[in-house]
Amino acid sequence: MHSSPVLPLLGRGLVAGGAAGLAAGLFSLLLAEPLMDRAIRAEEKRSAAEEHAHGAAQAVQHHEELFSRSTQHGGLVVAAVVAGLALGVLFAVAYAAVHRRDPAATPWPRALAFSAAAFLAVSLLPGLRYPANPPGVGDAGTVGDRQALWLAAVAIGVLGMFLVRQVYVRLSTRPEPVRHLAVALTAVVVLAALFLLPDNPDPVPVDATLLWDFRMLSLGSHALLWAVFAAVFGGLGLRAALRTPAAAGRATPVHP
Amino acid sequence: MSLHSAAPHTDTTASQAAVTRTRDWLIASAAAILALIALYAVFLDNGTLISATGDYLHEFAHDGRHLFGAPCH
Repeated sequence: MHSSPVLPLLGRGLVAGGAAGLAAGLFSLLLAEPLMDRAIRAEEKRSAAEEHAHGAAQAVQHHEELFSRSTQHGGLVVAAVVAGLALGVLFAVAYAAVHRRDPAATPWPRALAFSAAAFLAVSLLPGLRYPANPPGVGDAGTVGDRQALWLAAVAIGVLGMFLVRQVYVRLSTRPEPVRHLAVALTAVVVLAALFLLPDNPDPVPVDATLLWDFRMLSLGSHALLWAVFAAVFGGLGLRAALRTPAAAGRATPVHP
Repeated sequence: MSLHSAAPHTDTTASQAAVTRTRDWLIASAAAILALIALYAVFLDNGTLISATGDYLHEFAHDGRHLFGAPCH
């Protein structure tokens, strides 16, 4: 008897996503917020200087001040948790679809591998093409174009990851060098597609050290999110598998 | 146990499993759509979802957008 595995996977995705979002949110609240506050003060100085030079009428109205900075600090953690929950749901559905033949098998190594793939597809690759910028960078007039480019980068990351996996799985009977070269070639094509996307059109008038630190913390938050996600998702899967006698034998990889 | 008595039972179980599977995939699809809407609200909305009151979602999630690399103004 096989009860459907989708709903337990969804539950695990939600728990793991919530925990991962909270971890990434608190990490960036502690480490990235001081940088963002500094970037905003620098931006205010820049626009004050512009105001002085061009007259008040032409001043750049950047932040509407709908919320105080401390509310936006809280908003960062809320945004991270909501994003974690949503990514957890999408992760679980993709995981269930890819592993539909034997969804309960080897939950720990699969969770690690799938999370690493998700990190590459939605975090690292789009992040390399369009690196995160601190507040003060970003023209309101180009935001629609930049969102389209960013979504295209995420789509190329996700589709590219599935394509690479397909090539790897389909060529399982071929000699290893053939298989590996085909995978490498596919990866190069995906990377080329990613970098053929147009550049971010906006200038980045930010101190180089602050910019580097901010981008490192951005990637670090992404990495922490997926690491916590992998550990919780895999751990919950392992616990469920060990409780089910039929699946327990398949909980860890066995090579007969 | 004869095959004849076992077969109908197996059929029922199989069709029940199919119904459960279909239902669960429908739930999963609904959850995925909700997740995409949530991601849109956090990372992409520029005042469309709560347009009457201004750019609240964008401003509230402002720092999160910058941190996770989503385009921001």
